[in-house]
Amino acid sequence: MPQTLPTTKRFPKDHSHQLLNVTDLVVSYGETPALTGVNFHLCPKEFVAIIGPNGAGKSTLLKAILGLTKSSSGKIEFSSELGANPTQAISYVPQQQSLDWSFPVTVRDVVMMGRIGRMGWLKYPNGNDRHVVELALKKTGVSDLSNRPIAALSGGQKQRVLLARMLARESKLLFLDEPLTGVDSKTQDSIFEILEAERASGKALLMVTHDLEAARTWCSHLMLINRVVIAAGKPDVVYTAKNIEATFSSGY
Amino acid sequence: MNFLLEPLQYPFFVRGLVGVSLVAGLCGVIGVYVVLRGLSYIGDAMAHAVFPGIVGAFLLKTNTLFGGLLAAILTSFGIGFVTQRSGLKQDSAIGIIFVGMFALGVVLLSSVKTYAVDLSRILTGDPLGISSADIWLTLGLGVVVGLVLLAFNKELLLVAFDPTEARVIGLPVNRLNNLLLVLIALTVVLAIQMVGTILVVSLLVTSASSARLLTARVSTMMMLGAAIGVVSGVLGLYASYHLSIPPGATVVLTNTFFFLLVLLLRRRGDPARV
Repeated sequence: MPQTLPTTKRFPKDHSHQLLNVTDLVVSYGETPALTGVNFHLCPKEFVAIIGPNGAGKSTLLKAILGLTKSSSGKIEFSSELGANPTQAISYVPQQQSLDWSFPVTVRDVVMMGRIGRMGWLKYPNGNDRHVVELALKKTGVSDLSNRPIAALSGGQKQRVLLARMLARESKLLFLDEPLTGVDSKTQDSIFEILEAERASGKALLMVTHDLEAARTWCSHLMLINRVVIAAGKPDVVYTAKNIEATFSSGY
Repeated sequence: MNFLLEPLQYPFFVRGLVGVSLVAGLCGVIGVYVVLRGLSYIGDAMAHAVFPGIVGAFLLKTNTLFGGLLAAILTSFGIGFVTQRSGLKQDSAIGIIFVGMFALGVVLLSSVKTYAVDLSRILTGDPLGISSADIWLTLGLGVVVGLVLLAFNKELLLVAFDPTEARVIGLPVNRLNNLLLVLIALTVVLAIQMVGTILVVSLLVTSASSARLLTARVSTMMMLGAAIGVVSGVLGLYASYHLSIPPGATVVLTNTFFFLLVLLLRRRGDPARV
């Protein structure tokens, strides 16, 4: 049973510059604990993949940190450099299918939505907002689609648009929920190239995925979870037959 | 030419023309949110729920707009109260409150001698019976609704498209939703004067839906919605004058006709469209 496995594994070293520190986090839905004993921290230039089967609590973990789901106990601390409202400084890419893609807006409109938090009330986009949006469109390779209605996009293009909106937020902390769904392998590689460039520029990324192989190739750290953290650390340490077995074939 | 000019010699017709244009244009804009958020049921509920307010104001000989607004606010609180206390789903709460309020309106109105005449006026509207004071009030409220929409458009759009993102960036999603409901309520009360309780939802939904079939951009949709609303309002009023048919219903029919025309003429299978 997973409960017998250690639940307090931390990512190694460098406590000096953590953007996010999670201690003994527990999230419950009613009486049922969805997630228990989560401990980890996230530093700049780390790209962490949260991996586990369906219902393992992967998305729940992201939502708990964002404050969208209430946690029952534990601590979530943010670096002061994220400002007074740290959760608002996190850029969150939701699952593609959670959005209404028949909504009558263009690609550029959606990416511009990423600027709303920075613009503030009663403001319209200024030159800098437009510049950031064009840059985000370019980085994600959707500049030539920018005037297209989002209803006319393929799965891979939709994902790029969501990434462009994420970039337009200009956040230090990036959360992604299953960004590889509905995406072919060529697009998958280019998505990872975009994310790797963000990591290298000093961002910290937390990505939910069930694609173990892709995560092992591209991410700096893996966190295997199935309602508890089964293993966490560098890919070559975590990626063992025993850990994977424990994550994916548990009694849940 | 005489066809167009002849009715204009009557001040009541000119007032009706101005009033209907203002209201139908406003409905076309706010209707975009009603259509995109799937709120047509709430719009309809609101239209029925303000009925007793209008009747009450009518009986007390005060302005019916104020009576309607008061009832709209009471209804919003009532729906919230019932939903929270009963634990029922919101659509049940809306159903209970709106039919109850409507029945209250019918009972109130039955105390009037000219019951049948007044009932049909309130149910199907009387754009040719509005006063200049009503026009000014409509213009004022219309401008307020328009300005509020303009001010909070980007936030309201984000809440409509991606409420989770709106919460993540710290927008007060519940308050924005309430704001939208208040704007819809204001618009509904204005529109009831023109087309009546039963037909309001058409004005609120039909122009915006026609616009949605023609464009895949929200801003264009709002302008087209307003334009379609104004054109069907004006055409409907003229048709009603020349054919001697009820003006409110004729405006709605014209609007419906436009929608069917757009529906039949549009290219099928364009992915950018609905």
